[in-house]
Amino acid sequence: MIQYLLFRLLRWTIGLTLVTFFTYAMMFYGAGDPIKRMFIDSENFDSADPAVLEALQAKYGLDKPFLVQFTNYIGNLLRGDWGRSIRLSVDRPVWDIIKFRLPVSMQLGFAATVLAAVFGITLGILAALHHNRWLDRVIISTVIFVTAIPAFVTAPMLLFFLVLVVKVMNVPYGWNGLFHKDVILPVVVIALGPLPIIVRQTRSAVLEVMSQLYIRTARAKGLPEYRVVLGHMLRPVLTPLITTLGLQMITLINGSLFVELVFNIPGFGLLTAEGIRSVDYPIIMAVAIIGTLIIFLSNFFVDLVYPLLDPRLRYT
Amino acid sequence: MNQAAKQGTMDEFGVQTRLSRNLWQTAFRRFRKNWLAVFGLIIIILFLLAAIFGPILAPYDFLEQDLTSMLQGPSALHWLGTDDLGRDTFSRLLYGARTAALVAFSTTAISLVIGVIVGTWAGLQGGRVDEVLMWISDLVQAVPGLLLVMLINSALRRPIINWFDQLYEQTRNSFYLNTSWLDFVLVFSALAMIGWPGFARLIRGQVLSISKEDYVLAARALGSKEGRVMFSHVVPNSLGPLIVAVTASMGGAVVLEAGLSFLGLGVQPPNASWGTMLSNSLKLWQSFPHLLIGPAVTIGLIQVAFVFLGDGLNDALDPRRN
Repeated sequence: MIQYLLFRLLRWTIGLTLVTFFTYAMMFYGAGDPIKRMFIDSENFDSADPAVLEALQAKYGLDKPFLVQFTNYIGNLLRGDWGRSIRLSVDRPVWDIIKFRLPVSMQLGFAATVLAAVFGITLGILAALHHNRWLDRVIISTVIFVTAIPAFVTAPMLLFFLVLVVKVMNVPYGWNGLFHKDVILPVVVIALGPLPIIVRQTRSAVLEVMSQLYIRTARAKGLPEYRVVLGHMLRPVLTPLITTLGLQMITLINGSLFVELVFNIPGFGLLTAEGIRSVDYPIIMAVAIIGTLIIFLSNFFVDLVYPLLDPRLRYT
Repeated sequence: MNQAAKQGTMDEFGVQTRLSRNLWQTAFRRFRKNWLAVFGLIIIILFLLAAIFGPILAPYDFLEQDLTSMLQGPSALHWLGTDDLGRDTFSRLLYGARTAALVAFSTTAISLVIGVIVGTWAGLQGGRVDEVLMWISDLVQAVPGLLLVMLINSALRRPIINWFDQLYEQTRNSFYLNTSWLDFVLVFSALAMIGWPGFARLIRGQVLSISKEDYVLAARALGSKEGRVMFSHVVPNSLGPLIVAVTASMGGAVVLEAGLSFLGLGVQPPNASWGTMLSNSLKLWQSFPHLLIGPAVTIGLIQVAFVFLGDGLNDALDPRRN
C-alpha cells in the first residue's frame, strides 16, 4: 500500500516537473518576452528607449537564455519565491496575489461541491428508487438538459431570468465573503458542472446495491425504508463517489473560471484569464503549477482515502 | 434472477433470429424510439445545414454594419435584432454556426487521428510503450483543460504570425497576409491537444478487450483470415463506442471554442463566433437582453442536442442492450 502510494507520488512529481517545464518553454518560445510585448502594445515601440527595455528585462531576468531562466525559476520556486508579476499588477509578488485569489475560488469550489454532492446524491437515490418510472426519467433528463449547457451560458441566462424577468435580485458583483447573498448564484452555476456525473453514479450504484442480499435482509427484518436507504445503501454508494468528486476538480476549476469572469469575482479563475491575456509569465506559471497541483493532490487524496472507505480494497 | 431466466430461454429460441439482424438496423430501430435522441439529431442536422448554407440563408452580410439601426430589438427586418454596431444578430448566428461546425469537425478529426495512432500503438505494443504512452495521456488529462488550451493558444499565435510574415517577405504571396483563418488553425490545434488522450484511451481499451473476446477467438478457431476477423468482428464492435466518443468530442469542441472566444482567446473578430457574441452581450445585457438570448440559447440548444444524441447513440449501439 505505502509502496503503491510512494510510486504514485513519484509519478506525479515527475509529471508536475514536466508540466512546469513545458509551460515555461511554451511561454518562452511561444508567447515571447512580456516586456517587449508591453512596449509593442503601448504603440510607441519605435520611440521607446532601448535602455529602459533592457533594464526591465534584466530586472526580471528575461535577458538570459532559456535554461538559465528556467533553472533560476525552479530554484526560486523551491525557496518559496514565486517571482513578481510583470504586467498584471506591476511588481507585486505573485504569492501575494495568489494568497488573496486562491481562497476565494477554494471557498466557491467547496460550497459548490457540497451543494452538488447533496443534491446529486439525493436526486440519484430518488431516481434509483423510482427506477424506470416517470420520476427517474424526469430527474435524469432534467439533469442532463440543465448541465449540458456550459457555465458561461447558464450564468448569463440565469442572470437574465432572475434580474430582468422575475426581478428577485440585483446583479451579484464581486466577492463579499462566502456568506453574502451574492455568492448564491455563482455557487449554483459552478455546482451544475459535476452534478450529472454524481446523479448518474449514485443512481447506478443504488441500483446495484438494491439487489444485494443484505438489503433484502434489512427489508425483511422490517426496517423502515429510510433506514434501509440511509443505513445500508448510502455507504457503498458514497465510496465510488469520492473518486468522482476528486476527479471532478477539473470541472470545478474550469467552471469557476467562467463564473468568476461573468460575476467579476476576483478568484483564481479570473487570475488565470487575466494572466494569460497579459502574458504575465510569473502569474501564468504559478496558475499552471497550482492548478495542476490541485488536481494531482485531489487524485492522490482519492487514492489515500479510498481504502479506508472500502474495506474490500484494504489488503490488496 | 427473473431476467437471467428469461435470457436463458431466449438464447436458445428467440434471440437467435433477432441477433441475426444487422447491427446497424437494430441500432437504428432502437435509436428511433428514443425521441430525445431524435430531437438531438434534428437539431444537429439543422446546425450543420446552417453551417453549410448559412451565407445563402442569412438575410444580411454578417459584417454589414448598419449604424442607423443599432441595438434594435427583434423585428420583421431583423429577426433577432441588431448588435451595438448595427449587425444583424440572426445572420451572425448563422455565420457563427459555420465557425462552430468547422472547429467541431477539424478538432475531432485531428484528435481522432492522433488518438487512433497512439491508442493502437499502445494497445498492440503493450509493455513499456503502453505504459509510457498512457502516462503521457494521463498527464495531459490531468492539467486543467481550459488552461492548457489557453496556454497553447497564446503560445502558438505569435510564432505562427511571425512565420507567415517571413513567408510573405520571401514569396510576396498575398495569401500569407490574410491571417483571419489563423485563429481557426490555432483553435483546432489547441483543442486537439487536449482531445486526443480520450480517444487514445478508448481505442487502446477496445484493441485490448476485443482482441481477447471469445468471438474473436472463435472466428480465428473457425479459420477466418486475419483481415476478416479485423473487419467483421473487431471494427464493428469498436465502432459503437467510437461513434459515441466522436459525438461527445464534437459537442465538446463547440463548447470549448465558444468558451475560448468568450475569453477573447478564440476566433477573433471580425469572424463571427457565438462565444464572442455572448461575451459582447454581457456588457449590454441589462438594457438589451435580446443580444444575450440569441447566442446563449443557440449554444445551449446545440449542447443539449449533442448530449441527447450521444446518449441515444450510446444506448442504441450497445450490443449488450436488449
